[in-house]
Amino acid sequence: MSKNTLIRSSVSRRQFIKGASGGIVSLGLLGSSSLFANPDNVIRIGYVMPRSGPLSSFSQGDDFLLKQVHKQLANGLNINGVQYALEFFLGDTQSSTIRASQVASDLINGKNIDLMLTSSTPETVNPVADACEAAGVPCLSTTAPWESFYYGRGAKPGQPSPFKWTYHFCFGVADFAKLYIDQWSKVKTNNRVGMLLPNDADGNSIRHLLIPDLEKAGYTVIDAGPYEDGASDFSQQINLFKKENCEIFNTFPFPPDFPVFWRQAAQKGYAQRVKISQLAKAGLFPAELNSLGRLGYGLAAGAYWHKDFPFASGSTGLSSQQIASGFEKSTGKQWDQQVGATASLFDAAIEALIQSNAPKDKVALVMAITKLRTETAVGIIDFTKGPVPNCATTGLVGVQWVKAQQGPWEFALNIVSNADHPLVKVTNTMTPYRIGG
Amino acid sequence: MKISSQVNTEGFSTEHWYQVGRPALMVGGLLFLVLATVPFWGSGLVVDKLTTLFVYILLAVMWNLLAGYAGLVSVGQQAFLGLGGYFALRLVDIGMSPYPAFIVGALICALVALVISVFALRLKEGEFAIAMWVTAEVIRILVMFDPIVQGETGTSLLAMNQYAPELRRNINFWFGLLVVAGMLGLVLWLVNSRIGAAAQAIRDDEEAAKSIGIRVMRVKQIIFVVAAFGCALAGSLWLASSVTFQPRTYFGVQWTVFMLFMVLVGGLKTFEGPILGAIVFFLLQEFFGDYGAWYLAGLGVTAILFALYAPNGIWGEWQNRKGVRFLPTGVTLTLKNKE
Repeated sequence: MSKNTLIRSSVSRRQFIKGASGGIVSLGLLGSSSLFANPDNVIRIGYVMPRSGPLSSFSQGDDFLLKQVHKQLANGLNINGVQYALEFFLGDTQSSTIRASQVASDLINGKNIDLMLTSSTPETVNPVADACEAAGVPCLSTTAPWESFYYGRGAKPGQPSPFKWTYHFCFGVADFAKLYIDQWSKVKTNNRVGMLLPNDADGNSIRHLLIPDLEKAGYTVIDAGPYEDGASDFSQQINLFKKENCEIFNTFPFPPDFPVFWRQAAQKGYAQRVKISQLAKAGLFPAELNSLGRLGYGLAAGAYWHKDFPFASGSTGLSSQQIASGFEKSTGKQWDQQVGATASLFDAAIEALIQSNAPKDKVALVMAITKLRTETAVGIIDFTKGPVPNCATTGLVGVQWVKAQQGPWEFALNIVSNADHPLVKVTNTMTPYRIGG
Repeated sequence: MKISSQVNTEGFSTEHWYQVGRPALMVGGLLFLVLATVPFWGSGLVVDKLTTLFVYILLAVMWNLLAGYAGLVSVGQQAFLGLGGYFALRLVDIGMSPYPAFIVGALICALVALVISVFALRLKEGEFAIAMWVTAEVIRILVMFDPIVQGETGTSLLAMNQYAPELRRNINFWFGLLVVAGMLGLVLWLVNSRIGAAAQAIRDDEEAAKSIGIRVMRVKQIIFVVAAFGCALAGSLWLASSVTFQPRTYFGVQWTVFMLFMVLVGGLKTFEGPILGAIVFFLLQEFFGDYGAWYLAGLGVTAILFALYAPNGIWGEWQNRKGVRFLPTGVTLTLKNKE
């Protein structure tokens, strides 16, 4: 198995050497060669992401961010008077749960890592966290609703947490009610909501948790009933929403299903009547909007990070603005929410390593994570407050995709609501949805 | 073997499989003993990788039993892999400890297979293959209704966390080794028994087999249930090492694709072929797995090339060329030299 540890700090000499096993790539981070000859002073970090396959959009920012972390920590990390080097081992899940399990156990058994990081969808996070929990390796993760991380791995409500080694920070289902009630008050409507929810885990938990809260807040919710992911004909739902005159439309679809629905809604004249079209799960990435073209102007969504967030990322040494512009410069693509969320994962990890005082001691590291309260690119995360043990929540802002005033990108993302994340400033007012903007 | 005593053996010398295969069996037994000691001297990574290899061998051998020996080409064996995992979860949830739950779960799975066999085995060839796929999807949807599975979300076998990490890894390994050895033994015995001979007769010509009095349905059922039992054990072994249970993963058709690849490349209709195929597949995954989509495309191309140009697989071709057989099945008749 080949391993490449870099002696120099120069970013341009960063090299990816493919390991013989499980798509693991190692990225060394060392200050000076002589100082870190001792392996006791190298912190080994596993980082598992869907780097290829259908979920690969989530890892677009990885190379850029790791480069920044490399720059920022070129001299290593001083913890409690000891100078440590960091070494990252990158694993690719290929967007498959099977592979995620394998890559995680390769890193644990083969690379002897001190800390595991992972992110993006329960299909990635859950198997990696399970491998770590079973092997007794500290694991920190983000970007999957905390409910699917916690309850989706067998924890039961009201019982003590079954997890000792795995920790997660992200928004949860409860954040949506707070966000929508505020965001939907910004545009005058008849308060009738057409709800399109698939028959999957997210769809069903939203159905049971969000709809009652919206009704309490005075909205009339018309639920079109569960449908299978990948459906191709939505005329029944569209006719129902038209008949019920739903001026607000809300959906949590499997992302490729949304364009199918929305094109049909435009053909059947429903999209023309909608004043707010609110997406979750879909509409995270600019590429999805670009494919919708003029039907995309004015769509509303929630965002867990935005370039106008007032928070800085300690691990990369960048402000949110700098993360976005740096990402655009290095990849030639428009920034997306996940770039900041990934930065926040590194922020939290580095802070936990520092606060542990003994980063090579797994128990000390886990104790530090349980008490972690720190600023990251997505905001303050605080593991002492819950909502359940092992989880911390982050806020969502309400956003609206609009036609960009100037280039180079077709769409711009405005922050229109901050009720769930008050430290972030609103940048624009919300406008009613109109085809063509 | 009784069959041999009924045929006229004058002018032939007979060789039973266990006579020819004795050296191979002894090597196999030795290998088993050596493997059993791996956790004492091998690294955690090696133990973990070998456990994965056991899952592949189990799946390949089970698929070959179905398709190679009984002519039952199924694209729905993931149904039993998923059910094996699911029943284990359920049994652990009502208080059983994990490893007994894996065995009992696989036995329940065999019962389910018996029920499925009643209608599935009435279908022939392509219809059977597709019916099995549909069955797997239906079972997945039913499993997703269970509140502990929580739809697509799935759950985890938290009971595995009660074992210390190294102990768990080693027990999984030994459990896997025992299961593989046990199932290989069972399959070897089965294909050399009357049932195996009958199954192969059915595979080659079902009508003819029926006409000489073979109880076609019963023979197919036995093979089908054993194969389901083996796949269920593979599912619980996978659950034991990965802990996570997500229905789309366990009931995913990719498992059947793996089985098909291993058997096609290794050698359909031979005992050794699928084992070799599993090792080849495992090595390919280790060395080329990080090429993502290209790796999968490469697997597909390899399988097509084998199907077209080497339909007997690596082992089958090698056997044909060299005439060497390590573990032949049935009785070999050799013409005696004329004196």
